[in-house]
Amino acid sequence: MYAYDAYDHAIVNARVAEFRDQVERRMSGELTEEEFRPLRLMNGLYLQLHAYMLRVAIPYGTLSADQMRKLAHIARRYDKGYGHFTTRQNIQYNWPKLSETPDILQELADVEMHAIQTSGNVIRNVTTDQFAGATADEVADPRPYAELIRQWSSFHPEFSFLPRKFKIAITGAREDRAAIKWHDIGLVVKENDAGEIGFEVLAGGGMGRTPVIAKTVRDFLPVKDLLSYLEAMLRVYNEQGRRDNKYKARIKILVEAMGIEEYARQVEEEWVKIKHTPIDVPAEEVARIKAFFAPPPLAVLSEDVPEVDALADKNFIFKSWLHNNTGRHKVPGYVNVTISLKPHGGIPGDATDGQMDLVATLADTYSQSEIRVSHEQNLILPHVARKDLPLLWAELDAAGLGTPNAGLLTDIIACPGLDYCSLANTRSIPIAQTITERFDDMKRLMDIGPLKIKISGCINSCGHHHAGHIGILGVDRRGEENYQLLLGGSGAEDASKAAILGPGFDEHGIVDAVEKVVAVYLGEREDGEEFLAAYRRLGADVFKEAVYGTD
Amino acid sequence: MAKKITGPQLVLANRLDDGRAVFLTAAGNWSNKVADAAVAANEEELSALMAIAQSAEVANLVVSVTPVAADTAGNTVAPAHIKFAMQARGPSVRSDLGYQVSPNWEQ
Ligand code: SF4
Repeated sequence: MYAYDAYDHAIVNARVAEFRDQVERRMSGELTEEEFRPLRLMNGLYLQLHAYMLRVAIPYGTLSADQMRKLAHIARRYDKGYGHFTTRQNIQYNWPKLSETPDILQELADVEMHAIQTSGNVIRNVTTDQFAGATADEVADPRPYAELIRQWSSFHPEFSFLPRKFKIAITGAREDRAAIKWHDIGLVVKENDAGEIGFEVLAGGGMGRTPVIAKTVRDFLPVKDLLSYLEAMLRVYNEQGRRDNKYKARIKILVEAMGIEEYARQVEEEWVKIKHTPIDVPAEEVARIKAFFAPPPLAVLSEDVPEVDALADKNFIFKSWLHNNTGRHKVPGYVNVTISLKPHGGIPGDATDGQMDLVATLADTYSQSEIRVSHEQNLILPHVARKDLPLLWAELDAAGLGTPNAGLLTDIIACPGLDYCSLANTRSIPIAQTITERFDDMKRLMDIGPLKIKISGCINSCGHHHAGHIGILGVDRRGEENYQLLLGGSGAEDASKAAILGPGFDEHGIVDAVEKVVAVYLGEREDGEEFLAAYRRLGADVFKEAVYGTD
Repeated sequence: MAKKITGPQLVLANRLDDGRAVFLTAAGNWSNKVADAAVAANEEELSALMAIAQSAEVANLVVSVTPVAADTAGNTVAPAHIKFAMQARGPSVRSDLGYQVSPNWEQ
């Protein structure tokens, strides 16, 4: 894992001291709310319905066990004993007091964490594949590059007041688990014919009111040019992105308006001017950062573990968990374990302080003290020896963390919605809860297979409904909660926009509609055909008919 | 322009120091209890309440002062819209947190 150097420590500590002073001045009345609001937002502190909300960055979703213990401690000491892991690989606390926030930030700084740039019109936390550095299907670990981008973008003076927020995602794997095509900039680590590592660069993706899938700007960008090229991309956007209308201010609108070829041309033109200025870091610096992410020394083990097979034979839940919640590691004999934060009937993404502490302890025992957070709101223990799975599973299961549903219909993404969020139209969490209760039977879930449901409580799309195989969007219909049903979205390498099926439903109707959609799939699927493939083959009409009837 | 609200209204805000939702009372104080909320029957009464609320904002006691439609059916008072009603109750998915536990749930 990356470790702060003296410079990192100094700037994060200085920021905490600065914010402490700002909070004191706000409390004493020296600063008005109007003056203070942008300052608190720059430190990740929002005001929601019931209280302030603090959004803490988990850079590229990687946490040490000690950092997780600190997150648990903060939940216990300053909050209400839980935290919410978000689709941006952040954690949100729902009840912090303004006066205590500087103390929280200091505690975070002590473990090399912060809430800087988790809000505002800046480059936000860079997100990536939750299995980065540990998956078999990877060209290279994307996290050193994510860290490089973090350092370049943190407090970047030119990009502190962009037209709108800016999100960068990067993956090094063939399978896109980071939804890079839904980001302002998406980067795919790849190897060219000469065997050099570089990136395919995409731009202009985004959700919200106008969902757009990113397009390729450059097919191959050498590693050495990464930062200067990003700088050129941001410059063109910063200069030409619209500032008159916040709904038209994201880069996707600019790229749609000028066309990807013209955007790419202007970026290249800008890049020529700046590529020889000292923006890119020397190869030694890249190597220094890479060294922090060196794979742990794992002795190759046998893939055959009779105890694992024996337990799977007699315990269907363990067998399902093995199937769904463990994935191939690049070293034989190891797996990456997904800890589902989606217990049926529970709140997607929430973890208690006790659960966070337990995950930290388990990480120390089983996963080289490493933990990951996925954009699908789950936790991951990478590098777990297969032979340890029965013991690990038993401990997780006893703590309510053994739900064997990763990737299945009940592994639902849901934003906080109207239960917490001041921008919401509707609640999201109760819809997820009702769906997971309705589909509680593991045999039925296994039969349905991979199916991603994603729920947002408003068009801001924090719950990624545009990318849901089944998406649900909450809208306000004359003061009542109403839910639109969308089908056919994908956040993966075959990214697609979900389409609205028809008129919306109340909170009961939407769950019935989901059930009808699933029934059509089960009735119509071909051998081995997953939900999304079946939808793409069948088209919307047959689903529409089942949900709304023929008239 | 905010849409003009018709019918009874109450004023809610968030306390500056901890962000908790609070309701303006007839005595000009801020209460955790929605039942204590002053209800304005017309625009004039609402203007009077808003003047008090805004001076509390200037005095750095509260932020995000919002007048909202009140539901006064059956001798109780609550914000009519679900969003503001949520502020008077707490998260619907955590019945162990917020004013639904008790107006003094954190003490
Ligand atoms: S999608 Fe809307 S309701 Fe949900 S968290 Fe984002 S802003 Fe809030």
